[in-house]
Amino acid sequence: MEIGQYTDTLEDYSLISKDTPLISNLNMLENIALIKEVHELLSIEKAENIAKESLEKIGLSHIGLNRLNQCSSLEVFYVMFIRALMSRDMNVIITTPFFLISNLRDIQPILDNIEILNTHKNIFIFDNITNKSHYEGSSCPIVK
Amino acid sequence: MIVKFIESIGDKTLGTLSSFYEALKFTFICLAHMVTPSSYNPAMRMVLTKQIYFTAVTIIPLFVMMAFIFGSVIIGVVIALATQYNLQDKIGSIIITFVIDEFSPFFTALLISLRSGTAINTEIAVMNVNKELNTLRQYKIDLIDYLFLPRIISGIISITSLSIIFALIMLSSGYVFTLLYMNMDLHTYKTILINAIEVKDLIILLLKSLAFGFATMLIPIYSGLKAGAAYTAIPISVLNGMVKLFIAIFLIEVLSLLIQSL
Repeated sequence: MEIGQYTDTLEDYSLISKDTPLISNLNMLENIALIKEVHELLSIEKAENIAKESLEKIGLSHIGLNRLNQCSSLEVFYVMFIRALMSRDMNVIITTPFFLISNLRDIQPILDNIEILNTHKNIFIFDNITNKSHYEGSSCPIVK
Repeated sequence: MIVKFIESIGDKTLGTLSSFYEALKFTFICLAHMVTPSSYNPAMRMVLTKQIYFTAVTIIPLFVMMAFIFGSVIIGVVIALATQYNLQDKIGSIIITFVIDEFSPFFTALLISLRSGTAINTEIAVMNVNKELNTLRQYKIDLIDYLFLPRIISGIISITSLSIIFALIMLSSGYVFTLLYMNMDLHTYKTILINAIEVKDLIILLLKSLAFGFATMLIPIYSGLKAGAAYTAIPISVLNGMVKLFIAIFLIEVLSLLIQSL
């Protein structure tokens, strides 16, 4: 199935892909907090506290003040995911995580952290069929 | 051959008119957002504060030094010429017109264009090429409210306030030269300036600073937004943006001179 065919069926979704990078002149906390500051008019302090709490949940509180070039691709991916959770959209779409995260071998630790962070949203991972073997045995259902 | 030539002229004319219309539309959209209270969300206010800091505050030491050096030299030349041509009785209005109406806003606009205009043009073009603008669109963050408006407002505030500082420094150094060339005491100098200054001069300073501030930020933003998708498009975008900005600054200056002469 093509991604466009699927996303057309969803009313609202936040996208995590190479086409939605983090904002380079903001640090990680600011990148996450921005969504709530704009959409929920939260103060910067409150929004950044929420962002900090989310990073703490997966043991990444130390990267809060880092800029994009100071983080690994895995850290950037988690920040992108937390940012997606901050929006009001009920669906989160992750495209080609093996492309976004360099040297990723096992998807399961990522799925575990996604579970820790996410409480109520629908998460969809889109990937190429060639990466199918990476998902076999993981905790998420595979749909072709 | 002739048909092709006429076609190419028509094509270029249509292209120019179309881009002029787009630029005008963008200007009006920005102005509309400027007067909409909902544009001023916490994220926008934070960017605005940072922009004012980077555009107006960090430049102050350099700006004061340049205002003192350039301002003193130029006001010295003006006063020397006025004395040479026996225009001592007009010295007040000469200084006020030259410093407040013309030189301060123009010089400030040029300096801010060189420093912040280029930076903003590059920043927006890089964000465009890196698809960061796409991220903001995807997360339904209004580009005008979050990115453009703080920069435009900071430009207006910065150029207006720095023009006033520049004028004050120039008027102060003017005293040194009147003392040297005309042996004038401070009280007389102050009286001459107060008698020469009119509300019209302050309005001109304010309006010109507003226009310069708006153009100095809007044109680089628009140019950055129109940059292509490759990194090689960034220098071209900055180059085009700066040329357009300098033309706009000179146009504003000429327009203000024309309006004043009416």
